[in-house]
Amino acid sequence: MNLKHRIVSIAVCAVMLSAGLAIGQTPPPADAQAAPSAETPPPAKGEPAADTPAPPADAQAAPPPPAPDAPPPELKTLDQEVQGLKKDVVDLNKDLFVLQEELLFPANTQVALYISMDVGTFFALDSVTVKIDNKEVKNYLYTAREADALLKGGVQQIYLGNLKVGKHELVAFFTGKGPVERDYKRGATINFDKGVGAKYLELKITDRVPKHQPEFMIKDWE
Amino acid sequence: MRRAVLAGGLILGLAIGTASLAAAPSIVGRAAPDFVLRGLDGRNLRLSEFRGQVVLVNFWSRSDGDSRQQMPALDRINITYQRAGLVVIGVSVDEDLRRSKEFAAAMSVSYPILFDTGTAIGKDYYLQKMPMTILVDRSGVVRYTAVGFRRGDERVYLDHIRELLRE
Repeated sequence: MNLKHRIVSIAVCAVMLSAGLAIGQTPPPADAQAAPSAETPPPAKGEPAADTPAPPADAQAAPPPPAPDAPPPELKTLDQEVQGLKKDVVDLNKDLFVLQEELLFPANTQVALYISMDVGTFFALDSVTVKIDNKEVKNYLYTAREADALLKGGVQQIYLGNLKVGKHELVAFFTGKGPVERDYKRGATINFDKGVGAKYLELKITDRVPKHQPEFMIKDWE
Repeated sequence: MRRAVLAGGLILGLAIGTASLAAAPSIVGRAAPDFVLRGLDGRNLRLSEFRGQVVLVNFWSRSDGDSRQQMPALDRINITYQRAGLVVIGVSVDEDLRRSKEFAAAMSVSYPILFDTGTAIGKDYYLQKMPMTILVDRSGVVRYTAVGFRRGDERVYLDHIRELLRE
């Protein structure tokens, strides 16, 4: 199925779901509510019929028919339907998000840049500036909470963009506090080939223990 | 004839004034645009990290007399209400970062002062005149904005703050 078909089908689904939700949230008509109470409840599955032989023991253990005050089964199923529709709406939102990503950042031009930190004894991250082909594409300031999340093993997608197929250069500048609380600024560069598929790069900040210095690397995830 | 021209001019002026007032955009009722800025102490603060608390954001300029008057009043509000869940953030919009930092240090207020030397945040918040005060509720929605400052305005702020803190 191509992209156009998917968009159309999702839009149709959205309309149907919203219509279904609207129906599900309106109370049922009065006659529909009154009908079950006027009638006797349907017999349980295991209830013996007059002309049938005695049922097996497990059939006798079946639950008794619902009391007349209990909500009719139609309402229960309606509620379940509404819940199901709500779940569908959530799923649809997810699909739309994925579709938006596919439209804005198609795989043949997509470049995604991630950042991770390991240990962080010798470096406290303050900001990262990213340049691709000498053009600044991202400047990100980190709060203490965000830096802490990276130290705990979090990986952040710092940039998502589009690039033509071919050779490119990415330069990342890291600023923060280095060893002995000194202002620290370092850069890392990578030359990479953008192919027809999506390109994933990772900025890695690690501790170089023997030298008591942080190390900045850019990894190309093939 | 002259009276007719004068009357026409007056009506035109009024119409233009009314139109410009009506066109003045407002962010009240909208989600507060997020920002992250460096503070006087070197730490970075992000507005969205205060979700769940009532936030008063005060955009100020060193060259503005009203801003100078307002800061001590906001400091008193911060000292009194921070334990109740209020966060006060001052944002300097001065281009001269060094002098702005000197001024902020001299004011020695108890709340964090951030420095914005760009223009993006000003556009997001439709900053027109300094100081501008914004109240953001616990869910991150702008609930009140005030432009300028006069003595006694802090009482209006307090009424709104108490209301938001009770929610």
